[in-house]
Amino acid sequence: MRYWTLVRLALRNVTREARRALLTCSAMALGLALLVFSRALADGGHEDWIDAGVRLGQGHVLVQARGYLESGSIDDRLTLDEVHQVLDALSQLPGDSDARPTAVRVSVNGLASSATSALPVRIEGVDPQAERRFSFFPSKLVEGEYFASDNPLAAFVGKGLVERLGLRVGSRFVVTAQAANGEIEGQLLRVVGVFRTGLDEVDEGLVHIPLETARSWLGVAGATTVGLLVDHSREVPSVVTALRGQLNDPDVRVLSWSEANPELDAAVKVDDYGDYIFHAILFGVIALAVLNTVLMSVMYRKREFGVLQALGLSARQTGMVVLLEGLLLTALAGAVGIVIGLAVTWGLFRDGIDFSSLLSGEFDFAGVVLDPVIVPEFRVMQLVQSVASIFVIGVVASIYPALHAMRLDVAEALKFER
Amino acid sequence: MSEDAVASQNAVPAVRTVNLWKIYPQDPEPVEAIRGVNLQIDSGEFAAMAGPSGSGKTTLLNLLGGLTRPSRGEVWIGGVEIGALADKKLARIRLEEIGFVFQAFNLLPVLSAMENAEFPLLLQGESVSVRRAKVRALFDEIGLQGLESRRPGKLSGGQQQRVAVARAVIADPALVLADEPTANLDSATGAALLDVMERLNQTRGTTFLFSTHDPRVMERARRLIRLVDGAIESDQRR
Repeated sequence: MRYWTLVRLALRNVTREARRALLTCSAMALGLALLVFSRALADGGHEDWIDAGVRLGQGHVLVQARGYLESGSIDDRLTLDEVHQVLDALSQLPGDSDARPTAVRVSVNGLASSATSALPVRIEGVDPQAERRFSFFPSKLVEGEYFASDNPLAAFVGKGLVERLGLRVGSRFVVTAQAANGEIEGQLLRVVGVFRTGLDEVDEGLVHIPLETARSWLGVAGATTVGLLVDHSREVPSVVTALRGQLNDPDVRVLSWSEANPELDAAVKVDDYGDYIFHAILFGVIALAVLNTVLMSVMYRKREFGVLQALGLSARQTGMVVLLEGLLLTALAGAVGIVIGLAVTWGLFRDGIDFSSLLSGEFDFAGVVLDPVIVPEFRVMQLVQSVASIFVIGVVASIYPALHAMRLDVAEALKFER
Repeated sequence: MSEDAVASQNAVPAVRTVNLWKIYPQDPEPVEAIRGVNLQIDSGEFAAMAGPSGSGKTTLLNLLGGLTRPSRGEVWIGGVEIGALADKKLARIRLEEIGFVFQAFNLLPVLSAMENAEFPLLLQGESVSVRRAKVRALFDEIGLQGLESRRPGKLSGGQQQRVAVARAVIADPALVLADEPTANLDSATGAALLDVMERLNQTRGTTFLFSTHDPRVMERARRLIRLVDGAIESDQRR
């Protein structure tokens, strides 16, 4: 009963200075709306980066032989039995395993030679059918066609490499690399398609060939990597843990995308830190707004708090009234801010925000070509965190004014000033 | 209530002080605002404290009301020594045993006249129906009927002070302390307010102790205590 009385008093006090409360709430609500929007945009952007990175690379989750990540040599490869074990383990993961794209690859560093030039390249033996679901290379086709597995000599080559080697669709060229037997072996290929990612190092240095061609050329039966895509990067830790539990083999290593691509992971983290700083500044501004309103209101109403204590409110209950005022302001602003944030973000930008007008051309960062269209991403946890943050700010910013009201000298506060 | 019970209740004074001192630390010398006051106000008294400015009237009222702590000595309210009580218990004593009327009215501006008057009952956890019934009866008694829903800003000074008196007596406290209650009112309004308080004293047996400069209050009081330099100079019953 008494606490409801305190809430009612606090509510009346908040609405008494309606204009001031409204202005403070507006500032807080806009701050929160901005927070919701910026977090949705940042999370959406990061997911886009990660998606681009894993589709350019080897997947969200990678299974390799121990040592391959460091050496990049086919000497450190999975045997065929190990590949089957991995595929079995993947099929036993919770959820629809068919819905999760999987890619088995044999990758090796080698040399691509044409009649005019020779360049160092990364040659990847891939399953063309699986690759269509797994990576974005097929969608980056600019000339010719993506190859089929029934053409053993087919090569899908980067635009930069084609230009530097003086090739075109239909041209033949040779790749050479160290095979499993230690000998340098060559493989004749024919360009069937050309891709362009916008990343020079990829466009000038990557060749996709059929998996079986790579296996027979290099004399290997297994694979260097088995990659897996999941629906969302936040699923990765649980999948990695589950796979590590199932593949209890010291020669097999399960890696997350962040372990396999530390540059991209660092880029996401750096961007996150930037966001944290921005959010900290935003929270600081909101906290100051609450502190200013509540403290001013306390200073202005010293006599009233004196009266409340004279009438029988304890110092703690008086402080509680002030704290409740801050919380009510925060709750009101929080509710409005969330609604505005969701309405603006989802209502206006649900299909993404196109930043291409701000970029002169393709923009790559941490080995990933960034999509100029960023689609905001909402997560319930993100909203809960935002609301919780605002709530904490409301409490923290109201503590000092509440202490001020608690420590009031009642007799002094009630002194009649002529 | 039996005659013995009434006699026993009457035997406990509304407030009693024993060698009460209040000393404010101040440079170059501490100020002795109250100096060894021994005072007893019995239940049902209608008493006034008078004295020049700085004589310690308000300080003594604050000490009796538990708004400030004594430097030395004791303050007893209804059998409880409040000088060393914890804040929470002291707040409870103020809520249940003491009513205040201030010179500046000091109504809560965000509450209506009725809500102001019922506030002590609200804090005591009384139900809405009991609160409203008590306030309506009291408002009828002191001429505030029809003003229940008005906020203090919409009431005259005299009406505000009557609401303050209603707030002070609504929970039947052992003692009502009134600090210069008529000082901000014109003579007619002040006289009317005194009528109200005197009638409440007579009909309800509410104990009133005023601090005042107002000769009308001194005339109406049935006991006049004169303070000079923080000590009781005279104490006359009429």
